[in-house]
Amino acid sequence: MLLKEKTIMEDRVRLICKRTVVSTKPVEQGRLYRFSVFDHVMEPNHIRLVYYYRTSKTREPGEITKKLRESLAYTLNCYPIVTGRLVKETDGTEENRWKVKSNDAGVRMVEARATGTVEEWRRSVNREEELKLVHWEDMYHLPYYWSTFYVQVTEFESGGLAIGLSCTHLLADPVCAMMFIRTWADLTLTRNMMTPPLFHSLPPRRFTSHKLSNNQLLSHYIRSCSLTAPPSNVTEDRMVTTTLLFPDPMVQAGENEQGISPFEILSGLLCVCVSRAKGKRNELTDMSLCLDVRKLLRLDQSYFGNCMVYHKVHYSKPVTTKDRLLLLSYVVKEIHNVTKGLDYDTVMDLVEWLSSNNNNPISNGSDLVCINLENMANSRPMMFEEDLMLSHVSCYVEGPVAGGGQAIVLPSQLSEGPMSRVVMVTLPQREMVKVLEDELLQSFSPVLLMEYTKLLNQ
Amino acid sequence: MPPPKMPDLSSSMKHKYVKLGYQYLVNNFPTLLLIPILAYTALELFRMGPEEILNHLNSLNFSLLHILGSSFVIMFFLTVYFMSKPRTIYLVDYSCFKPPVTCRVPFATFMEHSRLNLIDTPKSVEFQMRILERSGLGEETCLPPAIHYIPPTPTMDAARSEAELVIFTAMDDLFKKTGLKPKDIDILIVNCSLFSPTPSLSAMIINKYKLRSNIKSLNLSGMGCSASLISVDVARDLLQVHPNSNAVIVSTEIITPNYYQGKERAMLLPNCLFRMGAAAILLSNRRSDRWRAKYKLCHLVRTHKGAEDKSYYCVYQQEDDESHVGINLNKDLMAIAGEALKSNITTIGPLVLPASEQLLFLSSLIGRKIFNAKWKPYIPDFKMAFEHFCIHAGGRAVIDELQKSLQLSAEHVEASRMTLHRFGNTSSSSLWYELSYIEAKGKMKRGDRVWQIAFGSGFKCNSAVWKSNRTIKTPTEGPWSDCIDRYPVFIPEVVKL
Repeated sequence: MLLKEKTIMEDRVRLICKRTVVSTKPVEQGRLYRFSVFDHVMEPNHIRLVYYYRTSKTREPGEITKKLRESLAYTLNCYPIVTGRLVKETDGTEENRWKVKSNDAGVRMVEARATGTVEEWRRSVNREEELKLVHWEDMYHLPYYWSTFYVQVTEFESGGLAIGLSCTHLLADPVCAMMFIRTWADLTLTRNMMTPPLFHSLPPRRFTSHKLSNNQLLSHYIRSCSLTAPPSNVTEDRMVTTTLLFPDPMVQAGENEQGISPFEILSGLLCVCVSRAKGKRNELTDMSLCLDVRKLLRLDQSYFGNCMVYHKVHYSKPVTTKDRLLLLSYVVKEIHNVTKGLDYDTVMDLVEWLSSNNNNPISNGSDLVCINLENMANSRPMMFEEDLMLSHVSCYVEGPVAGGGQAIVLPSQLSEGPMSRVVMVTLPQREMVKVLEDELLQSFSPVLLMEYTKLLNQ
Repeated sequence: MPPPKMPDLSSSMKHKYVKLGYQYLVNNFPTLLLIPILAYTALELFRMGPEEILNHLNSLNFSLLHILGSSFVIMFFLTVYFMSKPRTIYLVDYSCFKPPVTCRVPFATFMEHSRLNLIDTPKSVEFQMRILERSGLGEETCLPPAIHYIPPTPTMDAARSEAELVIFTAMDDLFKKTGLKPKDIDILIVNCSLFSPTPSLSAMIINKYKLRSNIKSLNLSGMGCSASLISVDVARDLLQVHPNSNAVIVSTEIITPNYYQGKERAMLLPNCLFRMGAAAILLSNRRSDRWRAKYKLCHLVRTHKGAEDKSYYCVYQQEDDESHVGINLNKDLMAIAGEALKSNITTIGPLVLPASEQLLFLSSLIGRKIFNAKWKPYIPDFKMAFEHFCIHAGGRAVIDELQKSLQLSAEHVEASRMTLHRFGNTSSSSLWYELSYIEAKGKMKRGDRVWQIAFGSGFKCNSAVWKSNRTIKTPTEGPWSDCIDRYPVFIPEVVKL
């Protein structure tokens, strides 16, 4: 029965063709772009995004794909880094590190068709099938011919559209990948580029050698960048992903304190539930937060490049209480301390250490990693055409930085309220089962948007 | 220390003046002969005085019959002369297809696709890279959408859509420029060498624009890159027979079905050079178009060297070992092209060269035959016959070869080189892109003569001579309108990829 269902699922997405989209204007040849230290540290990972659009109008098949392809070509005029290719060149001062040569090669684009409508699809897929909407190729042995960005446009035969974007984490973080789609959408809709990307290096070194004594962010990186092999318990159990919609986490938590964000509450909630699922009675699981520091470093949101840091949460007091709500509020407070405690100097210390001491990528070991993307919603909706409404965004980050479990907090596209959030939770299957049954989690009334499929023998 | 000698400069200056004097003397010989005769006659008339002249005239007894008879004879000969003179063919206007920017193929993308499609034969990929580096093409040339796929999908539908895109865009532009109504087209000639569907491309045009049922339509296929001038020749002959008519010529090459998918090196060359392009030209023999026409056709000479096996086989379409069809270019293509050009020049030379050059060429020929075969053959200076040259942008080697053999300056071949850079080798329509370049640069003045030279498989060398009817003012509308300010660009020998 399951096999039959699986084959039906496999035929739903049909690849039409693969091609390369280039910018409409030739680039200035031979320019080399260097990566920042944040970029280098994220090298082995990659990002996949899926944007779902529903529509009320019927269109000719292929019509919207053609329009998107042409507007993508115009968008790429502003992204010479995206259309370039990776080279390793010694520059005299720099050792053998990756750079981007802007050679005008373009991005790969895949066109596909899927049966049914967007709503039907989303109700019935799991992670493996959702990823069929995003094309990705691992690096070839000749990286000069390997595209760093892949775009897939899937038209649903009965209405709707899915846009899949995948890219290597070396060039972009989820924030600027989402900004890329926003710029593309704006250009398609209004023929105007409202938020062109900014390419420049991180703020320069400070010349006062004033190092903070208690820089926990830096200590986390010092430890994590020397982790090479993934811990054994991650590879045994299969990782599964579910998507949950939390309509109003603030109300449920009953927090009166100012300044707490839904991200902090949801991260705390998942930490508590995952700790119990792991069987830890009197301790909490290790957790790292992934936070966007563009504002902190006084950079514009359209800064293109990695600008998110991973900060481990430290529990200052040992866990004594059995009251789970009290435990939750304690964890949320600790999380809030981390987010509040991040400041310009802390991050700059990290930047300086990475510049002088580090050649290794970061690995989050078996931590639970919570990525904050809740501020990616904008008052201006992200539309490609007048009647294409964005209905859902999925985000996947894969690689050693994903740790032993992931929770990505995204804004909600449904009109549930400004505080509602969508969380994509990735955990080992055994833990996921327990977390979903946890009564503390259920007390937040989450709506299950995407399930995982159980394997028969598990 | 003896002072440095400067004999060369002064002797070359002397040589220059001698040459100039000789040319002036020979070219204006009839005028120079006429002046003393007129002077003598005028002197005689003044000497005789008015009464003597009148007496002379009265002594010639002209009766009415004589006068009528002689005027009748004169009228008769004049009529015969005007009737037997070939009708003047005017080129009213033409338009070139500007490819959409979304079809652009930069070098890096071309090489990546080549590597992904020919993944098992890196040597062929290396070969293509070397060709591309030295090709003289730029980063803005365009290939049709079907070739952008990995792997390319050259279906018949895709070929038809490319044909529709390039031909209809060029024709719409021509209609707009000339105000021509589709129903007024009397003759339609389409030339596209490598794509010949049924119904033909000319039938496709007739269907799209609802042309008249008594239209004289022609579809030339298989005639290579020189087919545009062949179409002009056919149109000229038809326009001699049909008075008060116009002819539309559509020259194009459809790339989609002819993209070579195999790995033979000699057959991969066209993939690197051929690009999308088309041109639509309006010719007319109507006197009313005399005022608005851009050019007048002076001569058209066609030379075919197909009788020699060497020439016939030098550009040959065939299947490779894996049954992929491609065009095999022989190594001695340049030598054969040179031979064909010589043949063509021998015919066109006497028609266009001034008397001074012809005399020099003749004496050099006689001298080599009678006196000493080792004398260097005199190459006539075609720069004296033409102001502008449009050499088919078949490849950098073709342009280099012709520049050398015709002794042209860089400025003369600029139109060809820049067309190759911006549009690639668009086959038969490249002559029209080059003409458009010259106009866009503001160099076309009234009375300028243009020489279009095209080479094609077979092996053919065709040339056409046009005379400009009016000065073309800039800025012009056309494929160069948005980029002419960037040209000319310096094209390096080898572009490092």
